[in-house]
Amino acid sequence: MLKDITFGQYFETRSPIHKADPRVKMVLLILAVVFIFLSQNILSLTLSFLFVMGVALASKVPLKMYFKNLKAILPIIILTTVINMFYGSKESAVLLSLWKLTITYDGLYRAFFMSLRIVLLIVVSSSLTYTTTPNDLTDAIESLLSPLKFIGLKNAVHTLALMMTIALRFIPTLVEEAQKIMNAQKARGADLESGNLKERIKALIPILIPLLISSVRRAYELAEAMECRCYNGGEGKTRMKQLKVSAVDFYLCGFTAVFCTGIILFNIFF
Amino acid sequence: MAILEVQNLTHTYGGNTPFINDAVSNVSFTVEQGEIIGIIGHTGSGKSTLVQHLNGLLKPTDGKIFIEQKNIWDNPKEIRLVRSAVGLVFQYPEYQLFEETVYDDIAFGPKNMGLEGEELDTRVREICKIIGVRDEYLTKSPFDLSGGEKRRVAIAGVMAMNPKIIVFDEPTAGLDPRGREDIIGIIEQYRKATGATVIIISHSMEDMAQITDKLLVLSRGELVMFDKTENVFKNGEKLREIGLNVPIVTRVFNKLKELGVDVPQDVFTVERAVEVLKNLKEGDSNA
Repeated sequence: MLKDITFGQYFETRSPIHKADPRVKMVLLILAVVFIFLSQNILSLTLSFLFVMGVALASKVPLKMYFKNLKAILPIIILTTVINMFYGSKESAVLLSLWKLTITYDGLYRAFFMSLRIVLLIVVSSSLTYTTTPNDLTDAIESLLSPLKFIGLKNAVHTLALMMTIALRFIPTLVEEAQKIMNAQKARGADLESGNLKERIKALIPILIPLLISSVRRAYELAEAMECRCYNGGEGKTRMKQLKVSAVDFYLCGFTAVFCTGIILFNIFF
Repeated sequence: MAILEVQNLTHTYGGNTPFINDAVSNVSFTVEQGEIIGIIGHTGSGKSTLVQHLNGLLKPTDGKIFIEQKNIWDNPKEIRLVRSAVGLVFQYPEYQLFEETVYDDIAFGPKNMGLEGEELDTRVREICKIIGVRDEYLTKSPFDLSGGEKRRVAIAGVMAMNPKIIVFDEPTAGLDPRGREDIIGIIEQYRKATGATVIIISHSMEDMAQITDKLLVLSRGELVMFDKTENVFKNGEKLREIGLNVPIVTRVFNKLKELGVDVPQDVFTVERAVEVLKNLKEGDSNA
C-alpha cells in the first residue's frame, strides 16, 4: 500500500523528448499552455490538438498513462462542461429548456471548447512530468531562476533548489520509515483499519510522532554530513551532470514555434 | 506440544510485476513450547520476512502457519488477536516510542488488547520488575533516556502484552558490548519469569551460542538447517558455504586442533572455553 506511492510521474522510455534539456521543455510548456488558451476558433483548437497529440506520441509514453491523469481530474472537466453549457449566448438557438435553465447550441459549443482545452492542458503538462525526472526538473528551475542573482537573490535560488532536491530525495526514505513504524505499532496491537474518523485520526498519533522525530534526526544528520563535506552554499559549486542544449531542443523549439505562429495566424484570419 | 508450526511457507514480493522475488520459499519447521530458537542467515536471506509472517503482519503467498494448532489466517478479522499472542520486537525498536511517559508507552500494547485500570497497571509494573525498569523511570519521557534504556523500554512495551511467543529481530544491533549483555539478560529473565517461547534473529554467533536451544539457518529464502545449536555449529563447513561462520571461540579451538593440540571441538561459548582450558592445564600439570 504505502509502497505504491510514487512521487513525480517519470516514465522511462528512450524518446527524443526524454533527451531534451529540461529547461527548454519547461519554457516550451509555458508557451504551449499560453497558446492553447489563446486558441479562439475551431481551427486553432484543432491545431492545438494536433500539436499536443504530436508531443504525446513523440514521448513514447503509452497513451494509457495520459488517460490515467485525465481520469484524476474528470470531476473538474465534467463540472466545467456542465457550467459552460448554461452560459451560451442568449441569441443562439435553444436546444433544451429546463425550468429556468436553458441549454443553447452556443453553450454546448463553449462547453466542448472549454473541456477540450483543459484536456489538452493536462496532456501537455503530463508530457513534461512523464519525460523529466524530478531531479532534472529541480535543476531546470534553479537554472531558469538564476537571473534572480542579479537582484541579490543568488543564495535564495540555490537554497530553494536544494530544498526541493532534498525533499524529493527523502520521500522514498520516509515512506519506508513510515511503513516500518506502522508495522511496529501494528505488532503492538494498534488498530489502523477500523473505527470512526476520530478514532482513526487518533490511531495515527503513534505513527506520526516517531516519524516526525526521526525526520528531525535525519535532518540533523544530513546537515552534519554536508558540513563535513565543506558545503557552504551555492558559491563555486559545480555539477557532475551539466544541462546542455542539443539538436533535439532546436527541433522541439522549431516545432513549438510553428504551432504558436499557426495559432496567431488562425486567430487573425478566421 | 508444538506451539508454532510453519508449513511450506512461501512469500513472493512484487506479485504481478517483472520483479518477482521469492523472499521465503517453502520453509517448514516446528517450535515446541518454551524453546529458544535462533534464526541466522545472510543479509537478505529472508529472516525478517519470515518472522513478520508469524504474527500476521505479512500474509503468506503460499503455506500455512499454526499457533497452538490453530491456523492464524482461518479468520482474517481476528488477526489482531494473533498479534497479542505473538509479540514482535522489530530492529531498532526505540524508534517506535511515542508516548509522553515511559509508563504510557509500555501500557500502549496491553491497552490495545483491551486491558484497563488495575489490571493494566499490574501488567506494566510486573514487566518493569522482571526486566529491571526502575519506578522513577516510569514518569520520565522516553525521549530523555539513553539509547540502551530506550531499547529496554521499547522491548518492555512488547513484553507487556504477555505474548506466548516473542520474536526479536536483531535485538542487540548497534549496541556496545555492555548493552548487548543487558538485552540478552532481559530476554533470559523474561523467559525464566513467563516460560514464553523465544525466537531471535541475530548476526552474532556468540549471542546465539549463549542462549539458543536450536538454530534455524536460512539462505536465499530457503531453510538450510534446523537443528540443536551445537549440531549446527559443529557443521562449520556448511555455515561457511553460505557466508556465515561459527563463534570466534570455536574458530580458535578448530585452529588449535589443526595445530595438533588435542582439544574438544564442541566449544561454542567463552564459559565453556575457560572450563576446557582449565581442565587441559590441570591435566598437563598432572602429567
